[in-house]
Amino acid sequence: MRSAKTSLAVACAAFATAGLLAGCGSSGGGATNTAGNTAAAPPPASGASSSAATLPQLSGQSFTILGQWTGGEQKAFQAVIDKFDSLTGAKGQYQAAAGGDEAGVLNTKVQGGTPPDIAMLALPGAISDYAKAGKIQAVDPAVASAVSANYASVWTDLATVGGKLYGVPFDASNKSTVWYSTKAFSDAGISSPPTTWADFLKDAKTLSASGVTVPVSIGGGDGWTLTDWFENVYIRTAGLDMYDKLTHHQVKWTDPSVTDALNVLKQLFSDTSLVGNPTDALKVTFPQSVDNVFKSNAKSAIVYEGSFVATTITGDKLPAKVGTDAKFFAFPSVNGSKAAIVGGGDFAVAFTQNKAVQPFLQFLASPEAVKALVSSPGSGFLSANKNVPASDYPDATSGELAKQMVDAGDNFRFDMSDQAPAAFGGTPNQGGEWADLQNFLKTGNVQATQQALEQHASAVKGW
Amino acid sequence: MTRDTGEPVAEPVGTGPSVLVAESKISPETSVTSGPRRRGGAPGEKRWLAGVFLAPAAVLLLAILCYPLIYSVVRSLFSDGPAGAVGSFTGLHNYEEIFTNNAILRSVVNNIIWVVVVPAAVTILGLMFAVLTERIRWATAFKTVLFVPMAISGLAVGVTFALIYNDAPSRGLANTVTVGIHDIFSQSTGYPGEHPRDASVLTGSEGKGFTTKKSYPAGSVVELPLTGLSLTSPPPGLSAAQTPKAATALTGVVWNDFKLGGGGTVGRVDPGELGLKGVTVQALQNGRVVATTTTDGSGTFTFSKLTAGQFTLRLPHGNFTEPFTGLSWLGQHLITWAIIIAYLWVYAGFAMVLLAAGMAAIPRDALEAARMDGATEWQVFRRITVPLLTPVLLVVFVTMVINVLKVFDVVFIISQSAGANQKYAQVLATQLYQFYGTQQYGLASAIGVILVALVLPAMAFNIRRFRKDQG
Amino acid sequence: MTTTAGSDLVTGAINRGPIARVVARTSGGALRLFLIAVGLIWLIPTFGLLVESLRDPQTYQGGGWWKVFAHPAQLTFNNYSAIFDDSAITNSFLNTVYITVPATVLVVLIGSAAGYAFAWMEFPGRDWYFLVVVGLLVIPIQIALIPVVKLYGILNISGSLISVILFHVSFGLPFAIFLLRNYFAGIPRDLMEAARMDGASEGRIFVRVILPLGLPAIASLGIFQFLWVWNDLLVALVFAGPSNQPLTVALASQTRQFASSIDILAPGAFLSLIVPLIVFLAFQRFFVQGVMAGSVK
Repeated sequence: MRSAKTSLAVACAAFATAGLLAGCGSSGGGATNTAGNTAAAPPPASGASSSAATLPQLSGQSFTILGQWTGGEQKAFQAVIDKFDSLTGAKGQYQAAAGGDEAGVLNTKVQGGTPPDIAMLALPGAISDYAKAGKIQAVDPAVASAVSANYASVWTDLATVGGKLYGVPFDASNKSTVWYSTKAFSDAGISSPPTTWADFLKDAKTLSASGVTVPVSIGGGDGWTLTDWFENVYIRTAGLDMYDKLTHHQVKWTDPSVTDALNVLKQLFSDTSLVGNPTDALKVTFPQSVDNVFKSNAKSAIVYEGSFVATTITGDKLPAKVGTDAKFFAFPSVNGSKAAIVGGGDFAVAFTQNKAVQPFLQFLASPEAVKALVSSPGSGFLSANKNVPASDYPDATSGELAKQMVDAGDNFRFDMSDQAPAAFGGTPNQGGEWADLQNFLKTGNVQATQQALEQHASAVKGW
Repeated sequence: MTRDTGEPVAEPVGTGPSVLVAESKISPETSVTSGPRRRGGAPGEKRWLAGVFLAPAAVLLLAILCYPLIYSVVRSLFSDGPAGAVGSFTGLHNYEEIFTNNAILRSVVNNIIWVVVVPAAVTILGLMFAVLTERIRWATAFKTVLFVPMAISGLAVGVTFALIYNDAPSRGLANTVTVGIHDIFSQSTGYPGEHPRDASVLTGSEGKGFTTKKSYPAGSVVELPLTGLSLTSPPPGLSAAQTPKAATALTGVVWNDFKLGGGGTVGRVDPGELGLKGVTVQALQNGRVVATTTTDGSGTFTFSKLTAGQFTLRLPHGNFTEPFTGLSWLGQHLITWAIIIAYLWVYAGFAMVLLAAGMAAIPRDALEAARMDGATEWQVFRRITVPLLTPVLLVVFVTMVINVLKVFDVVFIISQSAGANQKYAQVLATQLYQFYGTQQYGLASAIGVILVALVLPAMAFNIRRFRKDQG
Repeated sequence: MTTTAGSDLVTGAINRGPIARVVARTSGGALRLFLIAVGLIWLIPTFGLLVESLRDPQTYQGGGWWKVFAHPAQLTFNNYSAIFDDSAITNSFLNTVYITVPATVLVVLIGSAAGYAFAWMEFPGRDWYFLVVVGLLVIPIQIALIPVVKLYGILNISGSLISVILFHVSFGLPFAIFLLRNYFAGIPRDLMEAARMDGASEGRIFVRVILPLGLPAIASLGIFQFLWVWNDLLVALVFAGPSNQPLTVALASQTRQFASSIDILAPGAFLSLIVPLIVFLAFQRFFVQGVMAGSVK
């Protein structure tokens, strides 16, 4: 009996040690080479263009791409892959990390040594993490020049780690848009949307008087909407430089600039006649907050979030039509601040040295790829590619949203919480930014919120 | 090979449902558990044969269950680096962090609630249904109805119940029923959400009522503007507001100072603005209510008895009570219980199927004999059925304890609809998933190890029973 | 003395007392009423899901599924036809079968063999190994994901159907062994002894004696394992390659990130429900028969 037990224990331990050693030893250059060939970068064409002519022929080369897009968005991205396949003869296979947890699925595959060839990452923080851990490949010079020819340098900087570019920006979302129901506005006699924060609050009060129960619909149940509120206010009260410093935690969350921003936000959040009972607001998920504005018998009139509000309106088949019943205005200025755009986006990142990877990245950086993406019906995609004019978009609203992002140039800032380490800015867990701001919505206590934010930010590694 | 049952054996001699099959065939002396009294075959040959029978299971269990378990135990002793890398060796630090983390302690408490309530509830429900359906012809139909929830994917179950528990009575079945029942007993009237635009004329709150800032002499006409009435679908029966003419008594009008499309003067009655019918108005003098009246169809009110003096007016909070909109099923206090109900809905069928199989093997003659001897149904149930079913009951109960310890699907999906309240529903498995998602694998592994450790008491109990049977 | 098979109404007992007699007379009807009520309540969530699956998505925000009774025009088959039109989903149905059937069969076979060994064979450490096996029941899937992905990488079977099947079999084995070992332990030794005296090998005994007698437990195990694998999402998400995805993953791929997806999940859930229901109804008869057969001697 004892001998059998010991032998069992020894066997298990042997397995474990082997596994652990394999795991520990994956620090440097851990990308597996699925194609069995080393990458051969195509010679950079003069003028750094990334048109189809410079892509190599990759007959039959298959490669995998992991992304979180499903449904209509997946179809749109598939159109991009198909175009690449037709230009090069390669065979791209898209895999959706369905169920909404791309990070978990991707991490499992990376840790297990079988990463996809390319993954679409929404968090620059993740790019930085993977680069430092040596799991991803820097892009080729041809790809780098294609990126700089098509995107403002603020985009390139986001995906650069240690001087090397690792990611290609692809689609983007404009998160400085406030959406409203035109009917509610006209019923309340508001002739034009507000441009300043003071006007915004005034209009909200007018809406309340006109019978809208909860004028501003806040999706407090999804903490990330609150981080977007904060970032848009902060960038307007503290300016671009402070925004960058706070993003990288070079300035503490207890800084007076944060106090100012939170106090401005409190003017809205603590006014129950404008946002309703906080307990109720904290139950509302983001899609529900959009529904509350645009369904029939709506009890709200304004919802702030990004350009993907339009995606929710069409996805939930709400009776409002984007562009006529549902319009947006730019996030209002605070105390005379300049226009600023906060947004998000996805970067394509290479995990392996599959032959098709670098050419695909180069293609993604080009205007042709973006055109293929946005012209698919129902895609709702936007891009900050400066060589894609607003006229390329299928409808005026999308074109306008994209134009704002491109025009912002280097005054565009990527979502602060998406740049932070995921344990702080990317999770609904307690001990993260999302939960702290949810508490702020409930209590309105500026000082306590700042202390909690600073405490949690300091506890997390990887800034 | 035939054996007589003789009389019902109340003491099971094995652990397992088919012992009931065996009951009718063996006499009590024969032990059904194998022991050293085995006959036949050289010991060496038996071991080799055992190896053959065990090999496939052993390979799979070692590779896919055992190895990850050891890996997790080891991994839980290391901290977490960025991008999920293994950090430095920190011993039991991860466990320390877990036990001092409030969110995780809450999950532990939730798990305890689950373990205490659910296995017992499921087993009792399953037993009840198994017993009751024994006597009816359409037992299979009933069993199928109870079984269907098990056949539905966890995702669909979660989505279904998230919808049932939706707060809005128009959307969520639970609140439709709750509000329906409530409204049978009490109706709400008034103008919820109605409030003054600013504090120029009236101050106060909907919870306390609104009082006028100034006092008014008898003979004056008091205009009390409120806003917030839904103009696109106003309550029925309202008509245009009218300012009454001055009279000797104190009069005035309560109306909604906003019309569709905006415009008009703030604080004055404009055409198109609706009077608020049926609002209770109180006249106060020195803080005491001296008269009460109600507004009429165009919002006007008259205190006919007040012909002299100064009065302040108040609109008491009863005018503005919010209608009952149901319970907060996914709120802080009810969410764990709401999810437990969903889980019971799924697993009662599981218990019932297993217990019905066990019951089908109980020899009818034993029960007949007992009944002939004059035992009531309850005595038959208690003295014969339950003891014979004990082995199956144990399998069901222990399996449920283990399933409940690692419950994930239902909790995860339903809690996603709860917004910020999802933190109140967390159990250990969802906590593990959160750490897994943020690549804190050390913490995730520690929780996994804790889960395995928690099952040890159930296993110890099983050991003791097992040994008792053997010895 | 034999038991009679299938008598479903226990003959009346000799009850004493007037109350008992009243209860006896009404209990039949009250019982039936109670069970019908319970059955109806149990059906409500499923019924609601069915109605939602037949409703036009535009009506979702306007009210709950019960509004359909006042506005039957809301009903439509569009949600279902959208699913059938999607070849990704119809192909994934086959993948689900390719994963679930082998996983169920293998668990039954391997689990029975191991259960028999634990119940009736002697070897050192048997009891302790059995307890370890049962202890493995509690391991959550998440902590096994990364080590097993590494393992599959080494074995070079990542993304294949086999990788998913083996994972499911392994995770189903502890319950299988627990259940079957307990069940087999109750099979009377004399049956096996007699067979052995007749010169049968262990293998034959296993196939001819144990398996038939263990049919009730095996059928139960089969149903639950089938269900669990059929409805699994997480394991397939991690291990299945793009061409091997089962129905659950295909449906989840259709869910929208920022909007509700009930018009996809509800019909998907019902289409997915059909096969397990058929399996249940088939197996259900199986194990009642098995029990009856075994008890007649």
